[in-house]
Order: sequence, then structure tokens, then C-alpha cells
Amino acid sequence: MAPDVLPLIAFLALFMWRIMFSGMGRGWLVGEHDVLPRRQNDLFGQGFYIIDPARLILVADEPENRADGADLFDRKYRAQDYLRRIVALIGATQMGGGYALDVGTTRFQVRGRYVRRALDVTDPKCRYEETCFYPAHKEMPKAEQIATALLQLKNNPALFDGWAAQKSIALKADGRVFTPCVMIRE
Amino acid sequence: MNAKIVTFSSHGDTTLLEYDPATADMDEVNRVIAEYEVKTGAQPFDMATGERISKVTSEQREVLMVHPIAGG
Repeated sequence: MAPDVLPLIAFLALFMWRIMFSGMGRGWLVGEHDVLPRRQNDLFGQGFYIIDPARLILVADEPENRADGADLFDRKYRAQDYLRRIVALIGATQMGGGYALDVGTTRFQVRGRYVRRALDVTDPKCRYEETCFYPAHKEMPKAEQIATALLQLKNNPALFDGWAAQKSIALKADGRVFTPCVMIRE
Repeated sequence: MNAKIVTFSSHGDTTLLEYDPATADMDEVNRVIAEYEVKTGAQPFDMATGERISKVTSEQREVLMVHPIAGG
């Protein structure tokens, strides 16, 4: 008979053990909740007992947890993709940290917000001229800014002279001045 | 296959217009583009050739509205 009772005793012991420890677990959880409201109360001093919302906001504020974090990554990836497409389309080449574009004997080098121009790349003594440029949307991804400049220079190399001579004046791709646009420098 | 008019902006690439070139009223498409140019100064470029275009036709599948640039 004893062997028949042993599994029952073992089962009862296990059952009791589970009840005891799960109860303790609940107690610990309650303890945690008790601490959090006090901390919130200390922070705001207005008697609000908000536990989870504050924690959620904190998590949401971390850049990697933001809903737009993935979107930001996606945007940068797409901008790079557009730049690659435009570079291939107009026959530019990546050179160092920038891009080189040859239009006839003129070579443009676009890097960041600077453009260099060598009027005759076949002449080893040819000097470079340099100017900087600002797109209409100052927060446009860098890759798209470079793509915009390259595309415009390929179609209208004389834009370089306009950018160099008329500082802070927005020029359209065809070289005409665009007045309503407010250019903001970073 | 749909055609689209895109632009680069503060939010990255943005689709301004998407249409079926087989059935779309191209005059209407060009009217929208012209209005956008008046507002922003952006001009259309064919993304298949990389060339600036004066008018969008049903042949173009992707047109990029390129915004003005200022020197500094």
C-alpha cells in the first residue's frame, strides 16, 4: 500500500510548494508596485500614482524603440539607394568621401555641402574653385542633397557659377532665381 | 504599371503623385507639377535618363521633382 501512497504524497507536496511560492511571488510583485507609486509621487509631488505610463514613455523615448526609428533607417536606406541610382545614371563616380562628375573637361567634386570645380581636368596645373550649397530642405538626407546637386550640375554646369556668385539665393535647376523660397542655413 | 512623381524633402523621398499612365489625364498631371513648381521651385527630372524635362508624358515612369539649391 505504501508504494501507492508515495506518488500522492509527492503530488501534494509539489502542490503545496507551488501555492506557497506563487503567493510569495505575488507578494514581491506587490512590493514593487508599492515602491513605484511612491517614487512617482516624489517626482511630481501631486499625488498621482501612475506606474506603467511613465515607464512606457521612458521606453518610447529611447531612439531604438521609437516607432519612427525604423522609418528613419528606411529613409536613410532609400536616400542612399536614390543616390546610387543617380550616380549611375549620370556617370558620376565615388571618389574618397565624395562624388566626382565629369561634364566635358570640367570635373565637379561634390562632398557634403561643398562643390569643387576644375575647369580643365586634363590640365595638371588646373586650379580648383570651391563653393558650398544649401538645399531648400535643410533636413533632407545628406545622400539626397548630394544627389540633387549632382543631378543639377550634370544638366546645367553653369549653376556652379550661380551658387558661387549669388550666395543664399535659391536657384532652380534651370538656373533661374527662385524667390519665394526661404533658405535656412544650418 | 503605375507611374509616380517623387521629390526629396525633409522627410526623405516623398511620392507626390501616383497614376496609371495608360489612363491618366497627362494634362492634369502636368498641371499639378506646374503648381508644385510655382510653390516650391522644384523642376521635373526623368529618373530613367537623369535629364530635366519640360513636360511629363505617359512614357515616363518615375519623375523626380528637384528642389532649388542656394550657394553659400
